[in-house]
Amino acid sequence: MTAANPADVQLVAVRKRFGAVTAVDDVSVDIARGSIFSLLGPSGCGKTTTLRLIAGFEQPDAGDVFIRGARVTSVPPYRRDFSMVFQSYALFPHLTVAENVAFGLRMRRVARHDRARSVAEALDLVKLGTLADRYPRQLSGGQQQRVALARAIVVKPAVLLLDEPLGALDKMLREEMQVELRSLQQRLGITAVFVTHDQEEALTLSDRVAVMRNGVIEQIGGPREIYDRPRSAFVASFLGASNFVAGTVVARDASAIVVETPAGRVAAHGDRRVADKVHIAVRPERLRMERGGASGLPAHIRDIVYRGPVTHFYLDSAAGPLIAYRQDARAGDFTIGESVQCTWDPDSAVVLDEAHA
Amino acid sequence: MKAKWTWFLLAPPLALALVFFVVPVVYLFWVSLHAASSSELYGAALTLRNYADVLGDSFYLGIVRRTLGVAAVILGLCLVVGYPVAYFVALLPPRRRMLALLVLLFPLMVSNVVRAYGWVALLERRGVVNTTLRDLGIIDAPLDLLYTTSAVVVALMTILLPYMVISIANTLAALDRRYEEAAQALGAGPVRTFLHVTLPLSTPGIASGTLLVFLLTLSAYVTITLLGGPRSKLLVSLIYDNVTAFQWPRAAALAFVLLALALAFTGLLLALLRPGRVQGAGR
Repeated sequence: MTAANPADVQLVAVRKRFGAVTAVDDVSVDIARGSIFSLLGPSGCGKTTTLRLIAGFEQPDAGDVFIRGARVTSVPPYRRDFSMVFQSYALFPHLTVAENVAFGLRMRRVARHDRARSVAEALDLVKLGTLADRYPRQLSGGQQQRVALARAIVVKPAVLLLDEPLGALDKMLREEMQVELRSLQQRLGITAVFVTHDQEEALTLSDRVAVMRNGVIEQIGGPREIYDRPRSAFVASFLGASNFVAGTVVARDASAIVVETPAGRVAAHGDRRVADKVHIAVRPERLRMERGGASGLPAHIRDIVYRGPVTHFYLDSAAGPLIAYRQDARAGDFTIGESVQCTWDPDSAVVLDEAHA
Repeated sequence: MKAKWTWFLLAPPLALALVFFVVPVVYLFWVSLHAASSSELYGAALTLRNYADVLGDSFYLGIVRRTLGVAAVILGLCLVVGYPVAYFVALLPPRRRMLALLVLLFPLMVSNVVRAYGWVALLERRGVVNTTLRDLGIIDAPLDLLYTTSAVVVALMTILLPYMVISIANTLAALDRRYEEAAQALGAGPVRTFLHVTLPLSTPGIASGTLLVFLLTLSAYVTITLLGGPRSKLLVSLIYDNVTAFQWPRAAALAFVLLALALAFTGLLLALLRPGRVQGAGR
């Protein structure tokens, strides 16, 4: 980390066990100031435990936690410089919206006058200025979510922790809140750690994403990097549908390799030696279908599913089943049972570190 | 259709309540508005004298005051002793919590009379407490522990404590621990988390425990009679005395004073604690 963009949160070789289960196993991350960092993975992967280790609700069995450069491994939560939005919001039911938002300021002994001003500002930021005197139970889910956010940002924490904060909202509201959350975070320059199992949400919101599985970070990178350059089959399939093809390297040059598969030869991006056995992954939207071409994998269309903006084509080939997405597919473009050649740009095919699980 | 069924199902208990509760209460009130009679349950003339006597007599008012005082002390002790116990019980895993509550309930499985005589055996002049203190050389002459208001307070408190503990423990056990984490995340230490979050969120349990303890104190009789002396009589003892003296209308009037106290206290408590603002608010 450079001085210009220091890490607000650092986990160094953190490990946490619950009985016989290792929930978080040797996790190290640096989270840059002013960025949104997502912990993405299926339930039970350790993402929430990682967040709770940063908060101090859990104590690591090994390793260290730093917030703004200070070692906080054994510091209790209430002395750590963070705030949190809980999955169920955890708004205090006996306090009004304004009192909920003022809570953190009261605990920090901010004078009453300054407190009122900050609360009003925070409520305006989340567009809830008119609901200050309501109780949480009188609000809709989306409104409660905004109160939880206002309550967390009003204390100007070093880091904002968000535990699946949009999980309880319906799809429309969730997408709206994602955009709003992102713009709010950028305006305020807050460092945020975001836990989610929704890959679209992680891609939409994050500067960097850590994909977790069984307590281990499988891959860290920008949204584009983890989507386009997954290192493992798990990452590739968790971030959306993928075609997996196995084969043997038969030729290579500076930027690409040629892989011999049961159905024919294909190109891929990666650095492997000739005769290596490899698995490659191709996103369905990168797979092109051509009529009567000479190159690519021959396949025939088993099924066509119209999904509005995209149409899904299910294909069978000698290298296994394939799936292709086409935007703007017209009726009669391709038909079920038709034989096609499947091709892709070498750059769109990624060589995986491990076999498809 | 649904409303019809609701009424159909509610009708039997409502009828029972009407016949065996509402009607007698109204009748009792009617009795309280009459003069006493030596031959009948109540005299012919309508009068407010029973109420005027009770509320204008320093003897009666003194007993009302003592009744409220005893109830307040018991309530205070039950809250101070009961809350920490409830807090501890609520933290136990479900099976052990169940067991702890059963242990707490155990004293209630022993008959009131047996329990009172147990206290007699402990507190009388040659009882366990006095003998032990004398053997230890702490006292020379036995203390008058029995037949005092203190004996009544201690004995009632031990009976009523489980009601308080169970009420509060149930509320605390059902409390979402995320609220406490949310308070900590906002910089509240353990003490302020308790004062600003846990305590206010447990008001439904405090309210129901307080009501139970207060109302049961008002209606306790056996313990007061067996452990209290003539100078520690409470309102209930007075009602009994008036009934045995065939002063039925006055006993009825006293019963309504007791009812008014209970209602006033309930109203005051609900207005003060406002448990409703916490209840029914999932998130």
